[in-house]
Amino acid sequence: MYVFLAIAAFLSIFPLLWTAISATNSSVDIIRGTMLPGTYLLQNLNQLLEMADVRTAFINSARNAVLLTFCSVLICSLAGYGFEIYHSKAKDRVMSMLLLSMMVPFVAVMIPLFQLVSNMGLLDSTIGFMLPTLATAFLVMFFRQNIRSFPHEMIEAARIDGLNEISIFFRIFMPTMKSTYAAAITITFMAAWNVFLWPRIIMMDPASITMPMLISNLTAGYVTDFGVIMLAVMIATLPTILIFFFLQKYFAEGIAGTIK
Amino acid sequence: MQMSERAITRKPKLSLAQKRGLTGWAFLAVAAGLIIWMNFYPMVRGFYIALQSGVGANMQFAGDLNFRRLFADPQFRQTISTTFLYLVVQVPIMLLTALALASMLNNRNLKGRGIFRTAIFLPCTVGLVAYALVFRQMFAFDGLINTILINVGILETGHNWLGTAWSARLVIILGLLWRWTGFNMIFYLAGLQNIDRSIYEAARIDGANPFQQFWKITIPLLRPVILLTAIMSTNGTLQLLDESLNLTMGGPGITSRTMAHQIFATAFQGNPNIGYASAMAFVIFVMVAVLALLQMKVGDKR
Amino acid sequence: MKKFLAIVLSVLMLVALVACGATTTTETPPVEAETPAPTPAQTPDEDEEDDEPAGGTLTVWCWDPTFNIFAMEEAARIYAEMNPGFELNIVDMAWDDIQIALTTAATAGNLDVLPDIVLMQDNAFQMNVINFPELFLDLTNSGIPFNEFAAAKAGMSMVNGNNFGVPFDNGTTITALRTDVLEEAGYTMEDFENVTWNEFIELGRSVLAQTGMPLLATEAGGGDYIAFMLQSAGVSLFNADGSPNIADNAALIEAINVYLELVESGVVLEVNNWDEYIGSFVNGTVAGTIAGCWILGSVQSADDQAGNWGVMSIPRLDIPGGTNYSNWGGSSWAVTSNANAELAIDFLRHTFAGSTELYEVILPAAGALSTWAPAANSTVYAEPQPFFGGQAVFADIVRFSGNVPAITTGVFFYEARDAVGFAVVDILGGADIEQALQEAQDLLVFQIG
Repeated sequence: MYVFLAIAAFLSIFPLLWTAISATNSSVDIIRGTMLPGTYLLQNLNQLLEMADVRTAFINSARNAVLLTFCSVLICSLAGYGFEIYHSKAKDRVMSMLLLSMMVPFVAVMIPLFQLVSNMGLLDSTIGFMLPTLATAFLVMFFRQNIRSFPHEMIEAARIDGLNEISIFFRIFMPTMKSTYAAAITITFMAAWNVFLWPRIIMMDPASITMPMLISNLTAGYVTDFGVIMLAVMIATLPTILIFFFLQKYFAEGIAGTIK
Repeated sequence: MQMSERAITRKPKLSLAQKRGLTGWAFLAVAAGLIIWMNFYPMVRGFYIALQSGVGANMQFAGDLNFRRLFADPQFRQTISTTFLYLVVQVPIMLLTALALASMLNNRNLKGRGIFRTAIFLPCTVGLVAYALVFRQMFAFDGLINTILINVGILETGHNWLGTAWSARLVIILGLLWRWTGFNMIFYLAGLQNIDRSIYEAARIDGANPFQQFWKITIPLLRPVILLTAIMSTNGTLQLLDESLNLTMGGPGITSRTMAHQIFATAFQGNPNIGYASAMAFVIFVMVAVLALLQMKVGDKR
Repeated sequence: MKKFLAIVLSVLMLVALVACGATTTTETPPVEAETPAPTPAQTPDEDEEDDEPAGGTLTVWCWDPTFNIFAMEEAARIYAEMNPGFELNIVDMAWDDIQIALTTAATAGNLDVLPDIVLMQDNAFQMNVINFPELFLDLTNSGIPFNEFAAAKAGMSMVNGNNFGVPFDNGTTITALRTDVLEEAGYTMEDFENVTWNEFIELGRSVLAQTGMPLLATEAGGGDYIAFMLQSAGVSLFNADGSPNIADNAALIEAINVYLELVESGVVLEVNNWDEYIGSFVNGTVAGTIAGCWILGSVQSADDQAGNWGVMSIPRLDIPGGTNYSNWGGSSWAVTSNANAELAIDFLRHTFAGSTELYEVILPAAGALSTWAPAANSTVYAEPQPFFGGQAVFADIVRFSGNVPAITTGVFFYEARDAVGFAVVDILGGADIEQALQEAQDLLVFQIG
């Protein structure tokens, strides 16, 4: 089992390791297939800062992603709770209908969505960025499916204790479902941090640039500096890794200890 | 009718049940409203675009022209079969591997769980640009994979992985497995926490080996989450764009190009034909919806 | 379950009907209000803050901080000297992203999101102007001296005889070769001067036999090779009436045969993507490359090969009209219909179409070559380049660029190039050339229709 896990872990880490090593090498060395750490980290960093406004992009990405993750997880977990705890056939049907919303490729709705957001005057804004993915059928269903194993007795007990429905959600349900929330935050943050096409068409002002847009810009020239790109990719990857690293212990602890 | 049905099966007091039902609707109203506003409304507009042809300000109503055109389009047909190949090969392997990894990492006695979990999750955090570049280099003619295969003696001379149709598709499948297995593992790990450990204890006492425990306990109890990941992966694969666009650029020719890539190319690469691209998107929509309904029918039992 | 599906579909249709009905009544007026008159006016929009060419701000979409953006920044600096208070707001956007933004804005009818000036790939220029005539200003009578630009280059941004773009960087095709490898095989750069492709292949075979190095590498399929070979003979993939000219195009068949011969003889190494291609000459896997002159930036990234490179014009097709000059890539500036037109035109006229100083700065610093004839007389262009063994490569390239035949790219350039590229993949796999080209023509006709 350890062997299997070690192989899986190595295969998983290898490209990231390669990216990290490449960030310390010159472009020519990367093209030539170097596998050893180099001495170009500082040059790459200076070049990157000269070519692009990394600070602005990072702050924008962080603000957009954190706000979107917070709002989206809250809205969708409320909905998943509503669907499952107050389960009814009609709600099942509504859920199935909502699911249809995630089955159309984004390219097909991009232009109408752009019209919608632009007519509301929300270009270059965090709200415009957030709106299309503030509620996703996927995240609602994710909560609904995970709540299925939530012990209903806890809710009944809380009702007998006189808590109202909203308090039950915030005081009983949320703390109990830590593992589910940890997973939801991780995947939502990751998606929000990496989304490219949508900010690309609504963020027209250079002051609204995000990290994925910045990386796309770096790859656009006649001469591609792979060392600089790899450094930018590393910077763009770190927040997601950190978030996962801090949240991952909840995946394993979960609710087992808190029931009864 | 639904009301009375629920009243019979659930709660004896009708008024309370009604009140609870309304509370439930209130909980989900915001999300449902946003999804209708931000997803269904643009979808309907998109469908309206699919009934038009032309470019820019010169779009004209064309009825089912774009849809009739689809049936005569050899490129779209080819991308459909390529995409389904990815779906059929990749999704089952990925979900089973993710399940196996998750149940291994759920073992409390395993040392270094945090490290393994983080490592296996890492691939989906890696930026697309870097990931595509690494894979292209590994599978280049003088790249790492050929070097290893030649040295081990499996190959005599290098194989042109990205230049041959079947192996370019294989590289895409490997890329997908690499990138998304850890991602799916997260769902299973979170889901496994909700399973009472005493069930496993009881099974072990009854003499069930780990493999039997996996098939008889883990899979049935995780069914809601497995259903979720199956729908999600099916959906993701049928809408697959990134790998096709960045890893193989759809090549050689268009042999590894996906449906979504074809839509993207039709809409934004070269001469834009938004109406036709929207029509293709609705064909994908119908296919995903039908598959999702089938999966719900099989998997969503209470 | 069937009942459920029926419910879902009927709900969807209902929503569709309601929304479509609502759309026609509520959405149309704002679109009309926002869209400028169908024929873009020459006068600046009223919503711009300043009608005077004094001061004012322009927004530009372009890509590549070390090349286009650098050039724009220099142009802004130069223009601000004669027009104090002028400011330029540069938005860094990859070309692919600019195309998406243009298509989205045009299709959605939101032209007010457009900047004043957009940098556009030459191959996409006619396509975008023809598809979205409401997006761009006709610059023919704007006072910009288009006759001072290389004819083939200015032609890339012309539609129906009218100028829509101010030409910028040079995409003249060059042969860049490693002189040390040639020497090892007993050749010099002069042996590659004014050769036909057949002569080039013979030389390549000889170099390969003696040194084991192919002369060139290119992305598999050879779409770009065939495109520049055709332009070198002044041939387009389209007839004058816009219909595809693929199936019985003698120049195309000759170009494909040359490409097949290049690959089969091993003189050209086929690679699968751009990074592998750059690696081919940076790593010394091959002894040179043929591409637009913008490739010199990548060539010079391999410091250890300094002094060992030379530049020559390209081989010619052995057919009537064949020349040793062609074009690959390059871009031009377009002024949008949302622009402060007076200021944007004045800015371009005094910089990219009127400032030798600008080109003298951006050539050595960014390797951006001019297509504006007066700039080529500058002494900066005649300076010998140590990396190329003292050859004055920039003067040579400007000389080549004057001889490039002009062709029409039209609306379907990319589709045609890809269709031919797919055919070449089939032909290399053993398909019959005439049949494959017929299929390519059919595919293209389908895509146009």
